[in-house]
Parts: sequence; structure tokens; C-alpha cells
Amino acid sequence: MWRASTNRSGLIVALSALLVVLAILSLMIGPAGLSPREALAGLIDGEGTAGIIVRSIRLPRTLLALLIGATLGLSGAALQGLLRNPLAEPALFGAPQAAAAGASFVIAYGLAGATSFAVPAAGILGALVSIGGLVAIAGRRASLTVTLLAGLAFASFAGAATALILNLAPSPYAALEIAFWLLGSLEDRSMEHVWIALPFFAACWVLLFLNLPAYRALTLGEDAAASLGVDIDRTRLMVVIGVALGVGAAVAVAGAIGFIGLVAPHLVRRAVGSDPARVCVPAMLTGAALLTAADIAVRLIPTNPNATAVELKVGVVTALIGVPFFLLMIFSERRYGDGASS
Amino acid sequence: MIATQATAAALTATGLSVRLARKVIVEDASLSLRAGEFTVLLGPNGAGKTTLLRALAGVLPADGHIEIGGRPLQTLSLRERARRIAYLPQGHVTHWPMDVASVVALGRHPHADAFAPPTADDRAAVDAALTATGLEPLAARSVTSLSGGERARVALARALATRASILLADEPTMSLDPRHQLVVMELLVQVARRGTAVLAVLHDLALAARFADRVLMMDCGRLVADGSPREVLTPDKIATVFGVEAAITETGVGAIPILRRPI
Repeated sequence: MWRASTNRSGLIVALSALLVVLAILSLMIGPAGLSPREALAGLIDGEGTAGIIVRSIRLPRTLLALLIGATLGLSGAALQGLLRNPLAEPALFGAPQAAAAGASFVIAYGLAGATSFAVPAAGILGALVSIGGLVAIAGRRASLTVTLLAGLAFASFAGAATALILNLAPSPYAALEIAFWLLGSLEDRSMEHVWIALPFFAACWVLLFLNLPAYRALTLGEDAAASLGVDIDRTRLMVVIGVALGVGAAVAVAGAIGFIGLVAPHLVRRAVGSDPARVCVPAMLTGAALLTAADIAVRLIPTNPNATAVELKVGVVTALIGVPFFLLMIFSERRYGDGASS
Repeated sequence: MIATQATAAALTATGLSVRLARKVIVEDASLSLRAGEFTVLLGPNGAGKTTLLRALAGVLPADGHIEIGGRPLQTLSLRERARRIAYLPQGHVTHWPMDVASVVALGRHPHADAFAPPTADDRAAVDAALTATGLEPLAARSVTSLSGGERARVALARALATRASILLADEPTMSLDPRHQLVVMELLVQVARRGTAVLAVLHDLALAARFADRVLMMDCGRLVADGSPREVLTPDKIATVFGVEAAITETGVGAIPILRRPI
């Protein structure tokens, strides 16, 4: 608790600097081929084509990458703290899938425009059901295996529900649009998306940060934490709602982006140790860096120029990196025994 | 049966009952713990010892009345309760590979503003707990790299760091070798001598006879005996409650029950 935290402060400063660099890069890079000088001028005065491109295309995209990455990184760290398990991650609990099912329902039936509050609200509701269900199941003593199997069940069910919605969608064009949106992308988002999601992200951060001391006390198990004065039920409720707000809003504006919440805390633990309260801030910054970097990468990776969808989907990139990472973590968990699983 | 010395009682429970999944696990238990006294709770598996301890610690809802230092338990906030009662659950789990000093510092959770850096009091309490348990040389080690005996001491140090007036320990000697069992027992006695009311669940009747000031015996959810080790650990009671034939042998360290055979 009070050993030299220079390591951690250093890491936080370094990560913040990295975020600034990544944000600048993200504003400079894009298919329009603006020079850095033009992009900078566009950002500052907002005039001309460069101004429009940087301010209304690249800026929202960059802000969303930072916000969503931070939210997912923090959500992963908080869930892991609550469940005392380094493999907890919203995507493995079917949260993005369930949020996507909720959001696609609203979009497919034209209940709301893509930038209305109804989309994040439906997404949050979906995420709340899956995360709430999972935490209820994983609650007291369920093993890691049971938790992951239940997550798989939630994800499959939500996937099937989404497929059903696509099948029954009134317009085939809407179905195609939803299918692409589900893959997770930050392309062509506007500042409206930022403003819609921001309050939910802020609420998510507040709820999750209020429980930092509880994550630390939970290291000793639920009974010991309760005896130390932690209100376990309240903590559980706040984390479930916080993660649902964050993931639901993220999915509503950017589709399903997974595994940031798994990878970010894990990377951070190597530098700051395992104390679940000390992991949260660096995990949040790392999440933001990971997603911004991934979103820069999809703009640089060449795709088939004849295809209509020109860019790789960022959700595809995070999953392609995240799933092998997850398998590797399971592999090392197995090697070191079942210590963290019960 | 219960010696009531309300003035000196650190904790008094009256008519305590606990139901789990509609089954009565603890029925009408009344007891009091006194400052400076080391009390041992004995009983066969499934007698309800752990449930009773959890109820006393306030982590499990129970019917009946519990008073801490003269105040009803339910009038205390979670933090106030946590400052007065330190509870050591079975098994000494630590879910993350944290270093020993950080784990022990968790005992300060009820005192500290958990978002602020630790105060001088916090540091002093943690250092004292590390010293009392002989853990200073291991302070920077990860708990996951420690032996069972060392982990048991870490768990105890964490509970001591709270500086609560009541310590409830559930099988603190579980799966320890004989030497470490003695180390832990001596520590608990020391803690009691410094003015804490200590209640520990044990399975070893000989250890209880040797170290306890007072013994509580539990059977099928009820407290069936409460008194000095000599009064409670008799061949008769051991036969009825544990189903074991025992002989009591006077030794230099007390009247120790020798267990002969299951009845």
C-alpha cells in the first residue's frame, strides 16, 4: 500500500505522454493525405477542407478511441477486481454482444436514429442483463470454468438474438449496416456520437473509481472484505451498473470492440504489481492507448481497393490480437494451478 | 451457564440464531467475550462454528442480539464495526500476488480514508503487526511465494493491524505443521494478554486444553458447554459431542485430553 510508488507514477506519466503522441498521430493520419502542417492548421482554425476533415472526422474519431479505450480498460480492471480474477473481461461475459443485440433492435426497427440516446440506452440495458447475470452467477463461489461457460452462453444467446433481429429487419439495407457496425469501428463518427456517449462514460468512471478500496479489500475474499467494512452487495451493484454503462455506450457508438479490458490490466500488472486498486488508472490509460493505436493501424493497413468497405474494422483487429492473448493467459493459468479461479 | 460480566464484556451475543437456505445452522446461542481472554470454540464438523463466527463478525445476518462494547451491533456503521471486530476467515486466501506488507495493510481499511495515503498510525499498526508475527524479513515478498505457515502468520498480522478490540479467528491453525500451530497459538495468547478479546475455532482438543482461558463447545448448532478447559474438556462431554473416547492426562502444561478411539 505504501511502498515506493515511483514506478507507478512514472508509468502513468509515460502513458499520458504516449496518449498525447497517439492522439496527434490519429489527427494527422487519414485517407485525405493532409500534410501535418495542414492538419494542424485545420484543427486550430477549423477553416477550409482541412478544417472540416480534422475537426469533424478525425477529431471525433480520436476522442472516441481515447474514451472507449479508457472505459474498456477500466471496466476490465474493475471486473477483475470485483471477481478477483485476471480473466474477467466484458467481452467474455457477452456484454458487447448483448449490448449490440439491444442496440440493433432499436436501429433495425427504426425506433430511433443512429445518434439518439435510445441507442446507448438499449445497449446499456443489454450489457446490464449480461453482466448482471454473470456477476450473479460468478458471485460467491462459482469457479472460473462456470463463469466462462456462462459468459459463452450469454454471448451465444445475444449473438442469436442479433441474428434474429437482422433476419426480421424490415429493410435489408439496415441489416447490412448493422452487420458492419457490429464488427466494431470508429470510422465516420461525429462529435454528436462523442456527446451522446460522454455522460455514460463519465458515470461509468465515477462508479468504478468509487470502489477502488473495495477491489483491494476483496483480495482477501468476500467474507474478509465484508468484515473490513466493505458493503459487498453495493460494490457489486455499482460495478455491474458502471461496466454496463461504459460498455453499453461504447457499443452503441462504435459497435463491438472486445478484449481491451483483458489485455490492458494484464500489461499494466507487470509494471505496477497486482494490487487491484493500483492497476485501475494505468489500465485505463493503457486501454486508451491500445484502442487509439489499433484505430491508427486500421487506417494504415492496406485493404482491397476494389471492395466497398475500405478500412479494416478496429473490432476485428482487437479480437485478432485479444483472443490469442486470452488463450495464452488461460495456458499460463493452467500451468500455475487453479489458484485464482475459485 | 453463561458468566455475565456485562461491564467487562467486549462482545455479548444473546439468543443468536442463523438460518441458511431455511435450515437452522445456529440455534439460540448466547455467549460473551471478555477483553484479555483467549476463548476457544470447539465442535465437530458441521456443528455451526464457522456460521456462528461469521454472525458474530457481522458478515452474516442473524436473529438475536449482539452487543459490542455495550452498543447493539446494528447501530454501528460497517466501518465502526470493522474497527472493533477483526475477523480471520478460514483458509487465508489472497487472490492476487501482493506483497506481505500490502496485505497486512489491508487490515487498516476500516481506519483509513482509503483514497488518502496511510497515516503515521497506519504505518505504526502495520509495523507492529509485522513485528509481532515475525514477518519483517518477508515484508517485501509476494504472499504467493510463502509457505503455509508463513501465510497463516500474514493472515493473522492483517487481522492484528486493525487493532480491533475483538479478534475472531476461524481455524487459524488449519493445515499447519506442529511448530507453526504452536507459533500461532502463542501469538493468539499474546494478543489476548494485551487486552483483546480473542475467539478462535480449533479442532485440536489438546491445543485448546493447553492454551485456552475458556472453552465453548458447540454441537448441532447449539452451544452445549462454556467454561474453563478443565470444566469443559471432560471424557463425558468429549464422548457426547465428538463421539470419541478420551482420557484426561495431567501434564506440566495442563490437563490434556488424549483421544483413544471413536465410539
